[in-house]
This record gives sequence, structure tokens and C-alpha cells, in this order.
Amino acid sequence: MSAHHGSDSIQHLYEGDQSKLYSGVMAHHSDINSSESKQQVKKIWKVFWILLVITLVEVMLGMYFSHAMPKALINFVFLALTVLKAGYIVSIFMHLGDEFRGFIVTVLVPLFLFVWFIIAFLADGFFWLRMNNSSPSRGDTVKEQVQHAKK
Amino acid sequence: MSHSTVVTAEPKENLWIGGRSPFNVSYGKMMMWFFLLSDALTFGALLISYGTTRFFSAVWPDPNEVFKAFPFMGHASLPLLFVSLMTFILIMSSVTMVLAVHAGHYGDKKNVAKWLLWTIIGGICFLACQAWEWTHLHGEVGALWGGFTDPATPVERFAHFFNHHNAGHILATQPEVAMKATHNFFNYFFTITGFHGGHVTSGVVFNILILVNTVNGVYERRGHYEMVEKIGLYWHFVDLVWVFVFTCFYLL
Repeated sequence: MSAHHGSDSIQHLYEGDQSKLYSGVMAHHSDINSSESKQQVKKIWKVFWILLVITLVEVMLGMYFSHAMPKALINFVFLALTVLKAGYIVSIFMHLGDEFRGFIVTVLVPLFLFVWFIIAFLADGFFWLRMNNSSPSRGDTVKEQVQHAKK
Repeated sequence: MSHSTVVTAEPKENLWIGGRSPFNVSYGKMMMWFFLLSDALTFGALLISYGTTRFFSAVWPDPNEVFKAFPFMGHASLPLLFVSLMTFILIMSSVTMVLAVHAGHYGDKKNVAKWLLWTIIGGICFLACQAWEWTHLHGEVGALWGGFTDPATPVERFAHFFNHHNAGHILATQPEVAMKATHNFFNYFFTITGFHGGHVTSGVVFNILILVNTVNGVYERRGHYEMVEKIGLYWHFVDLVWVFVFTCFYLL
């Protein structure tokens, strides 16, 4: 390719000198039939099966056991399995696990803001419901309401 | 000719003295990651506001009651089955995408094109499923957004979205509370799955563009397939978001 072409310099700006970048799995290899390549493909399919099994477990829990188990416990299980799935996708499929440690930390640290967001906003929703006396609260059972009506 | 057999340990390289990327990634790839971070915050804001609204409400529609239809199965109650199929399609297309990226690392043009094509097919199947689900729910709700704004709406219009063991009492005594919850539920559902579907659509378009470039040999001449890797990041992110949407709307 001619180096005079305008798009070449722009492409160089964004993709840099590839010969100086990437190592390990993400480096440029030549033989797709090498044992190294086959091992990587095997790893990808293994993660596929893991993701599939986790999803099936979630669906089975949702269909058959979600009403038999305490709500807090089942939600905790769902969220833990979700984070596990997300971890496999980010680490293996997105190759974040193959990056330099500094880059992994740079990408993951801002996500911890979510811990604060989730706690703050859900607590706010819960508080609003408790303080709003024109709306029934989530804990109202038929029994309590009947007793209330008798008074 | 040296006869020395001493293996000297390589000195630890300082990555931060300039002249190279300390993260060992190109500018474009790093910016794709940072864009995805900002997009994660956008999706996070949508899902957290969904959660907040749900916590505001004394009752909430039960996903096992709302999502129980399957194409050509009539009125059979098959909760979660259709969305499981959608999830399977998206995971599968993520696998074909990562195989395309893998082929790109080896400069294998033919395999990159093959796996990109499968990814595009998977994306289109997912969008078709979503179109069916939206059409089905549009029939159930009577609208996409704002289906339950009329206070005179009879309770039978929305009572079947609830689990009567939990919500029967409020449906009987304060149906307006249940109606408001149904209204919020569907507004969030169409907003969030719509925003996600928009991402899938643009992902399919990007995949078609890089497939055309691959077949035309653009990346072969460039000497690397980094563009496939960057679009791959975007595609996996879309799958990642679906994992959270699936949990928030269909499981919790």
C-alpha cells in the first residue's frame, strides 16, 4: 500500500505500529493449525459450555425454584451467577485477562462506582416506599389488611 | 562465537519512560475500551433506575407471567423459554465473534470471513426474536410505551401480569397501584431492550462493514486484523449487557 494515501496516516494514528504492540495470545501468529492455536480454540469452546450451563441453571432456578426459596437467597444466587458469566465474557472473550495488569486495573476500577450507585438508589427506592403512607407497603399481607379493616 | 551458557535474567522493563504504549495496546483499542466503559455506565443508569422504580412499588409484574409465550405455541405457558433461546443465540454469536478475532490474530482471512458471517447471522436471529417478542407484547399491552395511563383501565387488562399469591390483595383493593407498576414495567422494558437492540443493530452493521473489508483484503494488506478485534470488543459488550438485562428483567 502506498504511504501517500491519506487514510493510511489516520489508520496509523489509531492502530499505531502493530509490530511494537501485543504479546501472548493477542500477538500476531502465523499458523492457525498450530497446537497453540488449537488450545486457544478449545479454551473458547470451554467457556461457551460454561456460559451455557450457567444460563440453564438460572432458567431452571427461575422456572421451578424461585417461589420455593427465600427471595433474598434466590436473588443473591442469580446476581452471583450473572457476575460470574460477565467475568468469563470480559476475561476470555474480550481478552481482558490477556492484557497488561495496568490496563486491567484501569478498565475495572471505574466500575466500582456501581457498588455505590446500586446501594444508594435502591435504598432510596425502599425508603420512599416506607415513607409513602398513601401506598401499600410491600410487606402487607392479606392477614394484616383484614385485621386493619376489622379495627 | 560465545560459549557462555549463563542465562542472564532480563532486566525489568520500565513501561512508562515513553516511546511505547505502557498498556501494550493501540490508541484505537484503548478508546474502544473507554467508550465501552461509558456505555456500561449508561446501561447501568437505566437498569439501576429500573431497580429504584421497582423498589418504589409495593407490587411488580412477575416475569414468569409476562414472558411465557413462544412462537407457534399458542397459549401454552412456557415461562423463560423464549428468552433462553435468545440468550443462547447471543452467547453463540459471541463465540463465533471470538473465533473470528482468533483467526485474525493468525492472519487467516478465510476463517475471519467465515466466523464473521456466522456472527452476523446470529445477530440477525437475535433481532428477529426481539421483533417477535416486541410484537407479541405490543399485542398484550396495546402499546409499546405508555400503555397504562388511563385510570379507567379495567383490572383484567393487567391482572394477568402478576403473581396472585403476592399481588392478589393489592389487585383487589388498590388496582391503581398495580396499574402504575405495570405501566412502569413496560416503559422500562421497551426502553432498555430497545436501547440494547439498537446496539445489536449497529453491531450487525459494523460486522457487515468489517466482513466486506476482510473479503476485499483491506486488513490483509494492512498486515493485521485489529479492526476485527475492536468490533469484537463492541460485540462482546452487547452480549455482556444482555446478561444483565436478562437477570434484571427475567430472573429477579
